[in-house]
Amino acid sequence: MMFPNLFSPLKLGNVEVKNRISFQPHLTNLAVDNLPSEKQMYYWGERAKGGAGLIITEELTVHPTDMAYEKLIDVYHAEVIPGFLKVTDYVHQYDSKIFAQLNHNGQQGDGSISRLPVWAPSPVPDVLFRETPKAMEPEDIDEVARYFALSAEHVRRGGFDGVELQFGHSSLARQFLSPLTNYRSDEFGGSLENRMRAPLMFIKAVRKAVGRDFPLGIRMCADEMIPGGLDLAQVQVICASFEDTGLIDFMDLSIGTFYNLYLVEGSMHTPLGYTIPLAAGVREKLKIPVFCTGRINDPVMAEKVLAAGQADIIGMCRALICDPFLPKKAQEGKLEDIRYCIACNQGCIGRIGMSRSVGCVQNPTIGYEKLWGEGTLKPAPVKKKVVVVGAGPAGLWAAKMAGRRGHNVTLIDKNESVGGQVLTAMKGSGRDEFGVIARNEKEQVEKSGAVIELGIEVSVDDVLKKQADAVIIATGSRPKSYPVEGCDGPGVSNVWQVLNQEVEVGDNVCLIDYDGHHRATATAEYLADQGKKVHIICSSLFIGAELGPTQDLYLSRQRLLGKGVTFTPDIAVMQVSGDIGNKSIKGFNVYSNIWQEWEGYDSLVLAMGQEASEELYYGLKGKVKELHRIGDCVAPRKVDMAIWEGHKLGRSL
Amino acid sequence: MNSSSLHILVLLREVTDPRPPAKLTADGYDIDERGLRRIVNPADICALEQALCLTEQFGGSVSALCVGPARCADILMSAYAMGASRCVRVWDAAFAGGDVVADAQILKRILEIVKPEVFLSGYRCLDCGDDPVPALASASLDIPYVNAAVKLVANERHEFDVLCKRDRGARQRVSVSTPCTLLVTEDSCEPRYPTQGAVLKALEQSVELWGLAELGLAGHLIGEAAAGLDRERLRFPHPNPRRVVTPDASLPAFERILALLSGGIKPREGKTHVLSAEKTAARLHEILIAEGLCNGSQ
Repeated sequence: MMFPNLFSPLKLGNVEVKNRISFQPHLTNLAVDNLPSEKQMYYWGERAKGGAGLIITEELTVHPTDMAYEKLIDVYHAEVIPGFLKVTDYVHQYDSKIFAQLNHNGQQGDGSISRLPVWAPSPVPDVLFRETPKAMEPEDIDEVARYFALSAEHVRRGGFDGVELQFGHSSLARQFLSPLTNYRSDEFGGSLENRMRAPLMFIKAVRKAVGRDFPLGIRMCADEMIPGGLDLAQVQVICASFEDTGLIDFMDLSIGTFYNLYLVEGSMHTPLGYTIPLAAGVREKLKIPVFCTGRINDPVMAEKVLAAGQADIIGMCRALICDPFLPKKAQEGKLEDIRYCIACNQGCIGRIGMSRSVGCVQNPTIGYEKLWGEGTLKPAPVKKKVVVVGAGPAGLWAAKMAGRRGHNVTLIDKNESVGGQVLTAMKGSGRDEFGVIARNEKEQVEKSGAVIELGIEVSVDDVLKKQADAVIIATGSRPKSYPVEGCDGPGVSNVWQVLNQEVEVGDNVCLIDYDGHHRATATAEYLADQGKKVHIICSSLFIGAELGPTQDLYLSRQRLLGKGVTFTPDIAVMQVSGDIGNKSIKGFNVYSNIWQEWEGYDSLVLAMGQEASEELYYGLKGKVKELHRIGDCVAPRKVDMAIWEGHKLGRSL
Repeated sequence: MNSSSLHILVLLREVTDPRPPAKLTADGYDIDERGLRRIVNPADICALEQALCLTEQFGGSVSALCVGPARCADILMSAYAMGASRCVRVWDAAFAGGDVVADAQILKRILEIVKPEVFLSGYRCLDCGDDPVPALASASLDIPYVNAAVKLVANERHEFDVLCKRDRGARQRVSVSTPCTLLVTEDSCEPRYPTQGAVLKALEQSVELWGLAELGLAGHLIGEAAAGLDRERLRFPHPNPRRVVTPDASLPAFERILALLSGGIKPREGKTHVLSAEKTAARLHEILIAEGLCNGSQ
């Protein structure tokens, strides 16, 4: 076997998990009326079908004062049990185990949803929610412990195999443990022994409720990574104390808090397996199994971590959102078929953080597993000759899905390799993993039977000569040809030209950013890496306005500042002018309406939006039997929509 | 046989060479037989060599015993070649599934029948380490046993002076008289290499086969029926954790973050203090006192 450690069973308490892959808890926003939903059943079930040994549900809220997000499941209501039974029955048919995660978010909650004050050890507002909480009275702590127990009882009756208590990055228990959020002077604050008192009450209450034979674990924050907070040395002591009670069966780990959410959900710019040293550090002190989670998206790395004894089970979250069948493919040695997560954070965290349902840029079936999950693709009743023009993400997916359904598919692209704009986007600093989108799909398109023709720029006549039954136009988009007055002058280029090295860029550069996303910031960083002096002017309140939801903002700004990039926000650029070496920019402050001018740049780089490459579509309109267009050539958007449309069309053709 | 001759029984066990990677069977309860290399337990060969040396010194006979299926006859042929005078293979399908207590019942019965003055075997098995069966069988017959024997010295009265290995490299000398059980270590002697003539002669010898009837044991006393332990699935042990460098908790949080995000954490460095010579001496003195390396006087 290629991965003997990864696919060896492990006992968590009395329950044996068939392999060392755990689908980790994360918000889905798929619950309906704060109860488990059918969509969740299929979502978790798909990961069980894909071979994950263990599935841990999203946090289930144990108390009415905790409503951090509108679509949390209220596990303290007995009404959840019938829904849970459906979920657990569905998961169990695939020989996977499913644990429920119980949580009270404490100060990291939103009273405007619950219409109740949030509860916390001390009246310290969370950095994200900014709401001053009510300092919990001792009877409040007793009540939460009772609710933990009640919730655990519902979990057990709901057919779950075990329960995990969230003491990690977002939890009331961590707020009790951390000197950063616990200023109490009573028996619940001060010394470590006192700070551990409330969390121990929660553990004891749950253990009493579920009995000794029911696996109970803790998810701990291995290091808060904030001055004055918990560090690894303290967490080692806390974890060992929890273990010494003999009440817990495993230790799941997370990192960071909402002060540094970019560590909790490390993006593409974060090293793979960045939390391994912390997991290994905790495991040194414990005998119970320890989980390690954090950008381990590859069975090879997972196997190495297990073989080195750095963890006992690998938590995969985004990796299995992206490809639910990663475990099965790894077990069968089909590594080339795995759709590797790139930690772009756009579809998963980016959507969840804005209260949308969980998604994935590379996996359009998320939340639609019942309709589009494994085994739902049916052969086309009528086999068609299909021509897809454009091998960007939209074209690749359309060709793949149509090919899998038995159509005779030809995929044509003018470039020498597939990927479309992905090939350019991956050239930005730190964005090379973006290219995995194209790498993941190329082989799948070939395996689907589709023929790929590269280096061919087709005209309307060329397409008509193919006499296809259906033509799909996925020709993408290009930077706007005339986004601002004077942009056709010398020394002005766009980000795509810069990244593709089609133009010479001087040493003193001004980048005009209307994008707010990596397209601009990664290009600025790319230029700064070459030693150029870069200034960014943008119309939004700050640089990288779109990077917040994907947890890229903090580190992007940190890197840009470290590389000497300067910023001017709030400016609507209206005109660029001047010669190379003395380019100038004229614009006005969108709030004060005062006009300003900047001059003396060698080059100007524009990230001022895209326009659809739609000529071929309009040239063919009305001339072929069946004509479709998908992706950016309909309207320039992000890659998730390109893949979504390609997938949907390929299925329905 | 003169009055000082010794009647010795040697237990030879078949083990598997632990070097090739083992695979589990599909049900997870056993080791897959394919690809395993079977050998005689090296410590048991040493026990046979010790037995032969003793009989060469005092006279007597060495009987070799092997509990196992038909293929184990080859082991006993080797024993014949080395100089054993009698070889017995004991086997019955009912032995399967037994735990150490059940297996000790079989050996106990053999010892009752053979009544050796000295029972010799290896202290540990090459593949599974400790094997408590010989000690359990001896103890159940009130026969004293000595384990981890590295040197045996016997006198005419058949009293043994035994040098044994003990914890953390210590040695212990014990005296024991017959009947006794001696479990020797693999490095206690250099086993002899049988000559070609001895090997050819061994092929002419016959191995006695004993089954349940010869032992006179009831089926419920042995094998799976007598086992007190249930079979549990096998799994490969986890390696000891490889030491990894973890972020130094004494560093400021931002430096710890940088350490994680840089893709590698450097080993912790000692703290550097820049002090005057006088203060350095005073600080060193404090450290030495704290470590208990120096008393409080200057």
